Amino acid sequence: MAAAGRGGVLWRQAAGWLWAARAAAAAPPGARAASGLTKDQLPGPYPRTAEERAAAAKKYNMRVEDYQPYPDDGFGYGDYPMLPNKSVHERDPWYQWDQPDMRRNWGEPMHWDFDMYIRNRVDTSPTPVPWHTMRNHFLIFLGTMLVMFALGEIYPSYRPVGPKQYPFNDLYLEKGGDPNKEPPVVTHYKI
Amino acid sequence: MASKPTRTAAEEYRPNRYVSLPAELDPATYDTSPEKRRAEAERLAIRARLKRQYLLQLNNPKPPAVIEDPALLRWDYARTHNVYPTFRPTPKTSFLGAVFGIGPILFWMAVFKTERDYREKLTQEDKWRLGFSAPLHSNKTHKDQTYCGSKAAGRCCWQPPIVGGI
Repeated sequence: MAAAGRGGVLWRQAAGWLWAARAAAAAPPGARAASGLTKDQLPGPYPRTAEERAAAAKKYNMRVEDYQPYPDDGFGYGDYPMLPNKSVHERDPWYQWDQPDMRRNWGEPMHWDFDMYIRNRVDTSPTPVPWHTMRNHFLIFLGTMLVMFALGEIYPSYRPVGPKQYPFNDLYLEKGGDPNKEPPVVTHYKI
Repeated sequence: MASKPTRTAAEEYRPNRYVSLPAELDPATYDTSPEKRRAEAERLAIRARLKRQYLLQLNNPKPPAVIEDPALLRWDYARTHNVYPTFRPTPKTSFLGAVFGIGPILFWMAVFKTERDYREKLTQEDKWRLGFSAPLHSNKTHKDQTYCGSKAAGRCCWQPPIVGGI
């Protein structure tokens, strides 16, 4: 009983020390991002009240009606806005962007998967043919080719072949036969 | 053929996660309601304000060394430092964590174990040679031995010699 009671106190103490050590290792209290942004200008937790939503929309330079955070599923998004999943390919190539290679203006909220949607990577721009049509055509072609190749493996068909006929008594010397001995005579055909 | 109602071009196109609807088929681009126009005007005002801030810094006779973009810093902070504080163990996150974190470890454990047990079994039956990544096959697989060049060796096909010990 006494040991269990003492063990309980020690367990709580150890958990407290571990928690403090982990918090200190992650970021010591008072540390700030190395930039001019204050804590209220950085992303934070999911906004619960309407005032928090308005403040978050203002922080991210968006209209309150446009601001839509990710659903609060505990996945770690916080109050970051959920922008439409459109890649940089779809943006106007002729507008004078502040950053032309990324087709982005200074201060514009970035998509969570921005690094996926750059012009070297994923492209969500509309296709001339609907996507489901392309998918069906591709799968039909791939399926047909795979079925035909599988059938060709199971039921091979080729012209009749015979064993290969090597000269010089079936390459007796080349295969390491004794040159002093008489090679066995191999006759492949008679004229 | 007017039995079923005709579908709009947007419905025929069926945009999904991989392709967006073209602007020509999107009825929202042709909507000129006053609310939409006011929303566009507000967005333009925000864009103009940001553009002015940026150009003031850019065209400064003594510009700063680096023009910091707070949106970029917020994006970086959200993806790196803000994930752990806002994470919460829920049934969905716990399930996904188990599937993607522990699942591959268990899978590869099973794969390696069965592969090595198979190789061990073949070694016991003397059908395995180290350094050769396929089991040895017997003479009976080729019907005609004149196909094979190693008649002198008494084997079916060329096999690497057994070097050294195990």
